[in-house]
Amino acid sequence: MNQHTVKSYGDELNQLTAEVARMGGLAEAQVADAVESVARRDVALARAVVERDQKLDALHHDIEKKAIRLIALRQPVASDLRKTLSAMKLAVDLERTGDLARNIAKRALILAEGEPMVPLTRSIERMGKLVSGRLRDVMDAYTGGELDRAVSVWSTDDEVDEHYNSLFRELLTYMMGDPRTISAGTHLLFMAKNLERIGDHATNIAETIHYEITGGDMYGERPRLSALPSEPDFKADS
Amino acid sequence: MPDASNPSPIAPTASSRLWTAGASGGVASAVLLGVAALHPHHAPVLLGGAAAVALATWMVNRPRRRAEGVAVPVAEEEPETPAPAPDASLLEATFESLTDAVLVISGGEPDDIAGRRVVLANRAARDLLRIQRDGAILVSVLRDPVVLEAVDEALFGSVERVVDWTGVRDRHWVAHARPLACGEGRALAVLVLRDDTDVRRMELMRVDFLANASHELRTPLASLSGFIETLKGHARDDPKARDRFLDIMSAQADRMGRLVADLLSLSRIELNEHIPPSGRVDLARATTDVVDALSVLTHDKGVEVRVSGAGFAEVRGDRDEIVQVIQNLIDNAVKYSARGGRVDVEVIAALSGDEATAARMSGSSRLPLLTPDRDASARYAAVVVRDHGPGMEREHLPRLTERFYRVEGQKSGGDRPGTGLGLAIVKHIVNRHRGGLAVESVVDQGTIFTAFFPLSGGRRPTGAPGSTL
Repeated sequence: MNQHTVKSYGDELNQLTAEVARMGGLAEAQVADAVESVARRDVALARAVVERDQKLDALHHDIEKKAIRLIALRQPVASDLRKTLSAMKLAVDLERTGDLARNIAKRALILAEGEPMVPLTRSIERMGKLVSGRLRDVMDAYTGGELDRAVSVWSTDDEVDEHYNSLFRELLTYMMGDPRTISAGTHLLFMAKNLERIGDHATNIAETIHYEITGGDMYGERPRLSALPSEPDFKADS
Repeated sequence: MPDASNPSPIAPTASSRLWTAGASGGVASAVLLGVAALHPHHAPVLLGGAAAVALATWMVNRPRRRAEGVAVPVAEEEPETPAPAPDASLLEATFESLTDAVLVISGGEPDDIAGRRVVLANRAARDLLRIQRDGAILVSVLRDPVVLEAVDEALFGSVERVVDWTGVRDRHWVAHARPLACGEGRALAVLVLRDDTDVRRMELMRVDFLANASHELRTPLASLSGFIETLKGHARDDPKARDRFLDIMSAQADRMGRLVADLLSLSRIELNEHIPPSGRVDLARATTDVVDALSVLTHDKGVEVRVSGAGFAEVRGDRDEIVQVIQNLIDNAVKYSARGGRVDVEVIAALSGDEATAARMSGSSRLPLLTPDRDASARYAAVVVRDHGPGMEREHLPRLTERFYRVEGQKSGGDRPGTGLGLAIVKHIVNRHRGGLAVESVVDQGTIFTAFFPLSGGRRPTGAPGSTL
């Protein structure tokens, strides 16, 4: 096994998807840690999340550069082209996810200075768990090339919205009841909004995976699962 | 498994070195013994020396063999022993049957993330990470940055690391990454994942239980002590008031008892939540049993419970737990029904996942509270419980299964208030059964809860490796 020969085309594609998977893992950890820093009022963890965001930015640039290089030098077509393009798209979504996680962590730092608001941070934690789960599912779908898994993430986006609406009302009630909680409540409101948008990015990723596997897009009517091919002839890294 | 039959190149040298050490130790002891025989007056000293040399030889040999003998079949030092040397197939079978997930990872170049590949994985690891073939890229099966970093340090820094990993289905694992010395300049590391969920869950549960119990028991306790104060004071000689207070106190004590029972059962269910049940239960039979058992309560309240639907629907499950699900749902429906109202219970067999969560009421707010892993071929049996009570606004639906969540302005029961844990228990049981739970509601028209469980005849809904890709 000579490590110094020129890498083959297949290796380069593999490397690209592997980088995206790694970036996904990092983004997942950022979201989970950000939510945990809110729930546990963990200042050190929140600071770590804020710092680690640079790593995601670096990975994003790296993936973009590699993808452009691959397109320029190898001129991929068909599924290889879709794979390259979706790597670029996923990198953007994951980078945005990371930014939102950093924003949550920054707000966690501010919240930690005030009084604990246990029932509210608990609601944020619940929503955070839900969103983290969706992000994990969609990245599992990406690395495993599982279309129905991606579709199921895509078609259950309502759940996050429901949670957001319910949290919104809860926070409003709280803030109206006790104006001293308005400052903390506003931060929690933005956190909820950020989580909701992370959920949207997971949905975007699901759409990208659908495009990568089938070549078609899934705008408009949410597709019934039975209308899609049940066994896509797609290999994770061919 | 490309590397299983390929013993490490340093193995023969290691075993021959051990062999030499053993032999020279043996010769030294023999010489000392011989001298002791020739010079009887020095015998105690010499015998002691012989024993010391023999002991030292054994000590030198023992730890080495333990360290190296596991991975590589070392040639036996004594050929006449009857036990056969472990061959490659035995080692492989042992490796396969280990309950911890074990992976051997090769390094490639440090800056190439796609170069970290799984060269060897036992069955537990393949099932856990859904590895489909040899040589899978590590990051495509395991993305956690902390674990990846630990693997990198083992590969390129030769440092052993132990980290935590929160994996699928909220399970916790302890990941040991250890460098694997194999020569040839090829970086290898072994990653062992040990399930640590039970320990963590126990800890968390204890904390949760204490917090919940102390918080929720405080109110009835305060009212109890208030009544006791009153009974000791001015109500002492008022038999009418005394009787009334004692009734209230006994109701409060009942409520505390139910609360403790519910909290305990919730804790027990959560503890088992990741172990799928193995029994079979007829959902239709369980439903009629529950309705019969609740007949006293429904009669008192003047609520009619109508059961319809399939006569037989066998699902995979634990009978006691499924009975509890049906009971909690019907109990709730009866509580929220007006006197003289009606509760409809329907058992439906052989539904797909989508059919099970489909709308049953027009113009309703509808929300799945728990969705099983999507599997087009899975078939479910559902129990649908409908009341004609006050219904709920949409914004309450997502939070119904939260512990102690109450819909504002609604009082359940009145004389028999709930604990606020019923639906939380339902959700955890259904999750353990890999089923689903959905709610539909229209204000002033009523609420429908649908709990569905995988049919016992169907395919296993989760965990079957190699189902896709």
